[in-house]
Amino acid sequence: MLVSKNKGTNLLRSSEKSSLLRFLALYIILVTMLLLLLGIFYYESQEKLMFSNQRTILLNHANKQVKALKSLHNNFSHKREVYPRNPYFRSAIYDIEGKLIFSNLKNNEIIFDKEIYRTGNCLQFVKYLDDYYLGAKYLFIEVDEDLTWRDETMSNIVTFGGLTLVVLAIFGFFFMRIFLRPMKNSIMLLDDFIKDTTHELNTPISAILANVEMMDISSMTQKNQKKLARINIAAKTVSHLYQDLTYLTLSHNRESTDEWIEMKQLIEDRVEYFTILAGSKKITFTLDLEEMTLFIDTVKIARVIDNLISNAIKYNKRNGEIFIVLRQNYVEIRDTGIGIESKKVNEVFERYSRFNSSEGGFGIGLNIVKSIIDEYDLKIRVSSVLSEGTTMKIEFSKGVLDV
Amino acid sequence: MFKKAVTLFLWLTIFLMASPKQNAYERNCIPCHRYQPASLEKLFMEYLKTFSGELSLKESLKIFLKNPTEKDSLMNDKFIENFSVKDATDLNDTELDKAIDIYWDLYDVRSKLE
Repeated sequence: MLVSKNKGTNLLRSSEKSSLLRFLALYIILVTMLLLLLGIFYYESQEKLMFSNQRTILLNHANKQVKALKSLHNNFSHKREVYPRNPYFRSAIYDIEGKLIFSNLKNNEIIFDKEIYRTGNCLQFVKYLDDYYLGAKYLFIEVDEDLTWRDETMSNIVTFGGLTLVVLAIFGFFFMRIFLRPMKNSIMLLDDFIKDTTHELNTPISAILANVEMMDISSMTQKNQKKLARINIAAKTVSHLYQDLTYLTLSHNRESTDEWIEMKQLIEDRVEYFTILAGSKKITFTLDLEEMTLFIDTVKIARVIDNLISNAIKYNKRNGEIFIVLRQNYVEIRDTGIGIESKKVNEVFERYSRFNSSEGGFGIGLNIVKSIIDEYDLKIRVSSVLSEGTTMKIEFSKGVLDV
Repeated sequence: MFKKAVTLFLWLTIFLMASPKQNAYERNCIPCHRYQPASLEKLFMEYLKTFSGELSLKESLKIFLKNPTEKDSLMNDKFIENFSVKDATDLNDTELDKAIDIYWDLYDVRSKLE
């Protein structure tokens, strides 16, 4: 039976959206960097053009000043003499040894071996004199920098850069959708398959479990009792998977019906439900539960506890242990299993992610746990040591506590 | 005999007239250049235009005064043709340096520009 696309694909959409956003962010960062680089080149070329234009003007000023210096030199009286000044520029003269002769520059941080340069808000130009009038070998001409070119250049960079960025971002968005389509299709195929399978599982699983419960084991031989127990375990495993898949495809988007839940009772019930399954691997439970209540949807908190216990069994060693601690503000489930590599701890909540490929399952259990945890604004902490075990600790927020 | 007496009188006069307060520049440079068409002031500006810095000017001037040649002279050909190149100085290095330092300080343009 085929199931049409429904709300269940929302999880797919959110993961697709997150991938799309990541790709787009990376693409925009790269494009921005490229545009910035182009902007820098453009700015530098405009600056060079400005320097080239200013060089001609400053050279004219320098030639005028040389004439004035020559005149002063030839008529120098060796009394007080007024240094030649011009309203359009300021100047300074230095001798061959770099010693200052006279200066009316605003900025005296001069550079001898650079023909034209910026210093502060001024442009300075140096002319090397052939005849050292008044002993001057270096003549510096200074003008205030006209920043019109910079405003125009920055305006061009922002306008054209911004427009190009927008256009490239739009192109990028469409390209990303095209590139992500194969991934999207394969995830949708898997989702559809799960949905179809889920619907087909319900009736036979319910029938198996109901009939197993109804069977009179006292009249059976020990061998048959063992066989029945195995059937029970297998059916419960499939039932657990069915419940996860149902939650994922149907219940996930339903409105939560929160109520006060006795957590100790709930955990004891769920442990009892998993006892036979744990017994198949000779795993024992150690419970340390305080009485406490949570204001939460019973289906959802049951899915959380079921998945954590199910994982603790699935990834535990034979003859292992599971410790469950319930306190007023947290519940902790610790196993003595294979553990998780530290670099993979952050990935356990991703959908279709499994601790270990040797174990069965779709890798959706912890994804469901995380979605419920996030919905109620709870916190889950995972700590794990490889070959020693994993601890999952859920810290309750004020919203669900009886305070 | 009379000539010798006049010469001796002149030397004595010059010797007595030379005040002990006169510096090396005043004693050794001014007396001759006072009668030259190229004043010390103009010569300084010519040296300044050619050598620019204090150290290079003083060094070049010292070399020239110790060994004056047509090639090193800053005067034009016509001047040299009329007045020839000066004789080498007989001042020792210390005296010469002192005279040049005073000459520089006297005509340095830096302190006069405003």
